[in-house]
Amino acid sequence: MRYSVLYLLLATMLWHIPLEALARIKLITLPPRERVEIQLDHARATLVEEERIVPLVQGVNQVDFAWANTQIDPDTLVFRVLGPADEAAGANDIKVLSVSYPPNENALIWNVAAARSGAARVRISYVIGGLDKSFTYRALADKDEKSLQLSQYLRIDNFANEEYGDSGIWAGFGERLQKQIGIGETKQVLLHKYTQVPVTKTYSTNAQTYLDRPKNKLRVPMHYVLRNDQAHGLGLAALPYGKVRIFVDDGKGSSAFIGEDWGQFTPLDDELKLYLGVAQDIVVVRTIDKSEQKHVNGNLYHHEVTLKYEIENFKNEAVILDIHENIRALRDELRGNNGRAVEWELLPTTTLGAADADKSTYDSLVFHADLPARKADSSADKVVHYLRLLLKNEW
Amino acid sequence: MVIAMKKFFLLVVLCALGTTAQARNVDLATVPERATVQLTIYNAEDLTLVRETRRISFKKGTNPLQFSWANTLIDPTSVELRFLDHRSELEVLETTYPHDKSHMLYWQVQSEMDGEARIEINYFTAGISWTADYVALADAGEEHLHLSSFVRIANHSGEAYENAQVRLVVGVINLVEKVAHLAQGRTPIMPQETARYKMRAAKQAMMLEEMAAPAPMVAMDMMAGSAEMEAPKEIAKESLSEYFIYTIDGTETIPHGWAKRLRSFEADNVPVRVQYRYRPQEYGAQPVRLYLLRNDSESGLGLTPLPDGMIRIFRDNGRDGLRYVGEQTLKYVPIGDKIEINLGQDPEVIFELIPRQVWRDEIWLRVSGPELYRKVDGGVKIDVKSSVAGWDEHTLYSQRIRNYSAKAIEIEVRRSYDGDVQWRSSHPAVLHDYRTVEFTATVEAGASVDVYHEVTRREGYNQKKNNVELLSGKVN
Repeated sequence: MRYSVLYLLLATMLWHIPLEALARIKLITLPPRERVEIQLDHARATLVEEERIVPLVQGVNQVDFAWANTQIDPDTLVFRVLGPADEAAGANDIKVLSVSYPPNENALIWNVAAARSGAARVRISYVIGGLDKSFTYRALADKDEKSLQLSQYLRIDNFANEEYGDSGIWAGFGERLQKQIGIGETKQVLLHKYTQVPVTKTYSTNAQTYLDRPKNKLRVPMHYVLRNDQAHGLGLAALPYGKVRIFVDDGKGSSAFIGEDWGQFTPLDDELKLYLGVAQDIVVVRTIDKSEQKHVNGNLYHHEVTLKYEIENFKNEAVILDIHENIRALRDELRGNNGRAVEWELLPTTTLGAADADKSTYDSLVFHADLPARKADSSADKVVHYLRLLLKNEW
Repeated sequence: MVIAMKKFFLLVVLCALGTTAQARNVDLATVPERATVQLTIYNAEDLTLVRETRRISFKKGTNPLQFSWANTLIDPTSVELRFLDHRSELEVLETTYPHDKSHMLYWQVQSEMDGEARIEINYFTAGISWTADYVALADAGEEHLHLSSFVRIANHSGEAYENAQVRLVVGVINLVEKVAHLAQGRTPIMPQETARYKMRAAKQAMMLEEMAAPAPMVAMDMMAGSAEMEAPKEIAKESLSEYFIYTIDGTETIPHGWAKRLRSFEADNVPVRVQYRYRPQEYGAQPVRLYLLRNDSESGLGLTPLPDGMIRIFRDNGRDGLRYVGEQTLKYVPIGDKIEINLGQDPEVIFELIPRQVWRDEIWLRVSGPELYRKVDGGVKIDVKSSVAGWDEHTLYSQRIRNYSAKAIEIEVRRSYDGDVQWRSSHPAVLHDYRTVEFTATVEAGASVDVYHEVTRREGYNQKKNNVELLSGKVN
């Protein structure tokens, strides 16, 4: 059964009638909603604004607002008189005198004084629980995984136990929507479709996540990386947190679902990384080839470290592997955690080249290694890289 | 219904009753109506001082009065009877709390006259409270606020006070026992100290009553306006000692269980400044956005302190509607003081501290003395044992602030450091206190700013003091 549980009642009463009596004897009108706006832009609260035409008589009017079985926060209710409903009728002096809260009821009574009789346009705003939003995404990658189409959906769950007819909906960005939301309904609306979004498929490895520790084999997670800026087909607003379902075009007029991930809140100019799983065709073995401390003085030492990466790419195409190395974690592994920051320098015999300055911080480095495709006989060349570091001033 | 809510009765018992006579089952009594009632409600305690007046006919001789308050939250230790006229001819001989009636007392009044007199009964009750709350509507550009202040009075005392003059006290008073607790008991037996402090609290409350005369201007306004359209009630505000008294125009009836909210004041075009702050000890790990304003006359405020209360902030969304910005509890704001409203984190401002480089120097070793080693097959070696005792550790940081909002922002950053620290940046900075560095950056809309700074921590033997020293000059 659909019914509105919010009531705006108008009772024209004599001002001096006690409130108990007022709650029992009413001559009421039921002003319908003229306009509803649902503001979903706040992270934790949903604001509803509704506009109604309220007929007022000269003198004091009782406007009774009740919200049975809903989660309206009564302390957030704001009642504003916008003016006379009929502009041609001229101005009317309308004032809210006080608000009364009857016991054991989800209701309040505005005492409104009007200088003359006539309808007034009022706006009632309140924060309501149970009317929640979330975001979901659908990513459809091209077959070559160089670009994708990203559809962003707004999902509204109406468990507020109130029906909202034709309502304006604002998610905080994008277009304002005009929709109806019934009680208990969930509505998913396409907010924006981004097409031809360049995507980088990355293969990365990190010494903190081994696939096979005794064999020093590292996991190689795969990600789609999108950059939230206009140069990369996005950049209209921050991308809110939400589930991303990822499909890839199979080149035969259909698509295949290849996984899903939680897309983190992504500010403008930041990267959205979507985890795709672990690559099976790239094998990375990381070995500590050298660990040698060099005495400086007393108990002060430098420590020379060489990491060897042996990488085989059994894929049909060449790829770039991102090698992440946390220098502090390496120091802790070799010398124990002494609580001090790590001081280090890259030795010139390193074969990985310079760290990626944009993606690296002082003690967390990212290198890129080019891996050729496997050969015609299905074998793969083993690419060997060395990362040589000098950890300084350790004790 | 209205009658049913009346829990207080004052009976004039029509026979001369001795203490033993009060146990009789058949009494004849008259019930004098309240002539006036005044409520003074405190927001810092669950305390309301009720002052009511009645007219009573006395006969010459002893007149028993019975006062009862079943199902209410009155403090029996606070009930007082005063005579407003014929004071020299009327006297309370004794007050009796009967052992078998927990919410009742008897006064034996000695009268030297036959005739009518006005009496006043004062008492404390719990269950009536008032709170302030505020609604701020910011314009779309967030340069001005429309600030409305409200008082909300709730009555859960068990009694309906009709047509009561209502006064609200802003300020903290000292109580040693809760009125609601005292309301549960019978005849009070208080320790001497408790009695003394209680009397002091009662005197404080009474003093406020005596000094807070109703504002005559308000009464005149009410009279003048009576022929015109009903207007929101004025709430007169007066300072008094350490307190502020709000007197609500006219009288109010708030039945038991009901609450009523009245506008205390409103101010338009209150200037507001938006500032972002990073103060981890106050606001947490991320910067927050604040509205800054002042409770002063230049801001259109400053007529009264702002009592504790919830403030809810809305903003014109630029599309003929409002945007809910947030809410916070506003602590008491004295006249002239600043008002800081924390609006929470702003997802459009990204704040990152990026370590760029670490290096150590000024490394000192502690020499613990030579040790002599001798090889078994001959030879001697002297080794001087030493270990690191002091060093300077330098960390170069970039404090990156990205602003994706539509306006330039100002952000104030405070960072605290323990130990002996030197702090250097090409960006202007000051010391907020001996261990906290403060700097402010302006970030244009859509832009990013990096504040590079070098933090040098003198550790171990090198630590000579326990504060932060600001150095000038470029960082590496």
